[in-house]
Amino acid sequence: MEAEPPVLELRHVAVAYDRVPVVEDVDGTVLAGQSVALIGPNGAGKSTLIKAILGLVPVVRGSVAVLGRPPQASRRQVAYVPQADTLDTEFPVSAFQAVLMGRYPRVGFIRRPGAADRQAAWQALDAVGLAELASARFGILSGGQRQRVLLARAIAQEPRLLLLDEPFNGVDALSQELLLAALRRLRTGGAAVVMATHDLGLAHLACDEVCLLNRHQIGFGPIGTTLTAERLRATYGGQALELRGDGVIVARP
Amino acid sequence: MTELLVEPFRLPYMQRALLEVLLLGALAGVVGVFVVLRRLAFVSDALTHTIFPGVVIAHLLDRSLLLGALAFGVLTAVLLTGITSSSRRVGADAALAILLTSFFSLGVVLVSRTRTYTADLTVFLFGRVLAVDRADLLQTLALAAVVAGTLWALRKELVLRAFDPDGAAAMGYRTAALDLVLNLLIALVVVAAVKAVGTVLVVALIVVPAAAARLLADRVATTAVLACALGALGGWLGLAASYEVSVDHGVRLASGATIVVVLVALFALAAAAAPLRRRRRGPGNPRGVARWIRSARAAAR
Amino acid sequence: MDQVREGGGAVSDLLGTFSDGFARRALLEAVMVGGLCGVVGVHVLLRRLPFFTMALGHATFPGVVLAALLGVNLFLGATLFGAVVVVVVALLGARERVDETSAIGVTLSGAFALGVLLLSAQAGFSRDLAAYLVGSIVTVQRGDLVTTAVAGAAVLGVLAVLHKELVLGAFDRGGLAALGYPVLALDVAMLLLVEVTLVTSIPAVGTILAVALIVAPAAAARLWTERLGATMAVAAGLGIASGVIGLAVSQHWRVAAGATIALVAAGVFAVSLLAAPRHGLLARVRARRQPAAAAGPG
Repeated sequence: MEAEPPVLELRHVAVAYDRVPVVEDVDGTVLAGQSVALIGPNGAGKSTLIKAILGLVPVVRGSVAVLGRPPQASRRQVAYVPQADTLDTEFPVSAFQAVLMGRYPRVGFIRRPGAADRQAAWQALDAVGLAELASARFGILSGGQRQRVLLARAIAQEPRLLLLDEPFNGVDALSQELLLAALRRLRTGGAAVVMATHDLGLAHLACDEVCLLNRHQIGFGPIGTTLTAERLRATYGGQALELRGDGVIVARP
Repeated sequence: MTELLVEPFRLPYMQRALLEVLLLGALAGVVGVFVVLRRLAFVSDALTHTIFPGVVIAHLLDRSLLLGALAFGVLTAVLLTGITSSSRRVGADAALAILLTSFFSLGVVLVSRTRTYTADLTVFLFGRVLAVDRADLLQTLALAAVVAGTLWALRKELVLRAFDPDGAAAMGYRTAALDLVLNLLIALVVVAAVKAVGTVLVVALIVVPAAAARLLADRVATTAVLACALGALGGWLGLAASYEVSVDHGVRLASGATIVVVLVALFALAAAAAPLRRRRRGPGNPRGVARWIRSARAAAR
Repeated sequence: MDQVREGGGAVSDLLGTFSDGFARRALLEAVMVGGLCGVVGVHVLLRRLPFFTMALGHATFPGVVLAALLGVNLFLGATLFGAVVVVVVALLGARERVDETSAIGVTLSGAFALGVLLLSAQAGFSRDLAAYLVGSIVTVQRGDLVTTAVAGAAVLGVLAVLHKELVLGAFDRGGLAALGYPVLALDVAMLLLVEVTLVTSIPAVGTILAVALIVAPAAAARLWTERLGATMAVAAGLGIASGVIGLAVSQHWRVAAGATIALVAAGVFAVSLLAAPRHGLLARVRARRQPAAAAGPG
């Protein structure tokens, strides 16, 4: 049996914007089926790291390998889910059309998406529980529904690596459940998930590994052992934290 | 009523003018959809001013106006794409404004050396649709084919880029390249419109029908068809109206300007009709003057 | 060298004809308009209003035409019409599916076409149109000079009195509101000041090129200095210089004055973009060669 390269390998990665280092010394491995939560305060470099994994921002030190290759070479296998409220709610597309957009790279220029593409889009929408709202305009859906549409778009891309930026922000409880379920199914299918989040409770529910960031890496490992009060204090610099779920950790200033 | 709309077009020059404005109206309308969705009205405005000196230079050198406009159109599309994708201490807005006015001034300076200064200026800025000849029509047709063809080929990607630029980049699309293509297409529309409606009024052809269609349609495809139709309709009605008023009432109305006024009236109708169609207001965007003034600062993206 | 001498000769020609009525008036107008636009331009940049200013310039045009048709004072007519346009754009842009730039685009086109329409209905179309669009500084009358001086003084006066509030409002609307100031009223006041500045500049450089004189000197000034007060002074200076040099050059080569002034202003900006210490392109290229010692993000 050949050794498959890990889905994502970060080796002492430092990323800079405009020659100013934003995040440094990120080191870790993500295997198929694993899920990592990127945790840190605003400005910690979570979004920048995600952009580096996508190959959109250059790495100034170290290396990023997606499926054993540089990020640009593995784009087709990587899907990105932005925050839904960055998108224009007046834009004239339906939920189905938004999901179908995930198939565009496969379709290529000029041609129209085919039956297989449309099928994939339907299944993806179904996986997030929005099949009935397929022809609704994207913008009239609730925040949680829109986030699910964006996840469906990623699912339609059939990715090996899924990157999510704060996917649970402002999302209602039902949408949360459906998002978590869809993510679980993706992981069972062999995809790896990396999500930036500041919701520690959901991180526990959705992820088995955690990467703590505050402009540099404070920890990377299984969530049970890595997410300690001390490390959290180091990450958040002593701010009080808002948590849900069973584990309650409060860092005192 | 139908008399008024058909009568003027018995004359061959009016027929050519009509064909020209129908073509231009439809073309500008469909390109305008992307301009409106991407909030590129300022960039389009800038393009019209920067193409102006190209037209003047071509005229002074007695070459095809089309070539002059084309050369400057390509040049400025490239410059504008460069400027708008990097904003630093000098904001993109300011850089655009300076680029726009300096190119325009160059054109004015060059024109002002001729004896027929003011008349030429007027023609370049406002066109002379009634002087359109067969060659112009063929040129417009050719340009329309190129623009429409490119739009059709890249329609998916341009919509994706407009809807979710981050998502598009993540999927591997080069957003700067897509932006350049769109800017080039806008430049081509301006080039096509120079003779007929002039550089100043073509912005209206691009923005107004598309903005009106946007108010009424919930899909990109519908918006495009509607914009096309409104653009062509405005051309037809405007031409007929300016003819009627000029011939029957002796008040000379510039055709290009009449077309624009008609288009804005159509926009006003669409704006009035739109709320009646809305079933449910989308999730909260704050309304009111305050929001506008605040976001007027973020006009150029 | 020859050209410098020619330029110098032109300036001294101009100054030499100081006793010549039209040249003196044109020079005075150029100085006043240049200085006013420079200062106002700093606020325009702070509040990211170049496109709006452009649109306002276009939209003011029918106001001027209407005023001329109705025999009303041009200045008043244009300002009133401009105020109407500001309100229309605000209301339109507040609607959900009309984004701000499209609102400006629609209003700009409509108002401008209206102006052209009204103008085309009378004789002398081309000549008047050119004057409104690109100015006609050499035909400036004494009355225009007085209007410019009064309007300019008024605008600068209001800017001086409201300086702190306007600057704070540009950077931090929330903070201004928290201090109890009527933020919206101040925003509208700023827009009206820009409108008055535009209308004042029309006889000199016309509606389209007034934007150049408002934006370029201020943008250039921002590249040379960090402090706001200094920026305004430098902007005013550059605006005046553009006006005087542009006028001189246009007289010498017998080309349109307003356009030449605008080109000089743009030229000043281009030079500043290259040469300014710290923010200029050359300076930044030099800094790039030195590792990590450069200043933080711009």
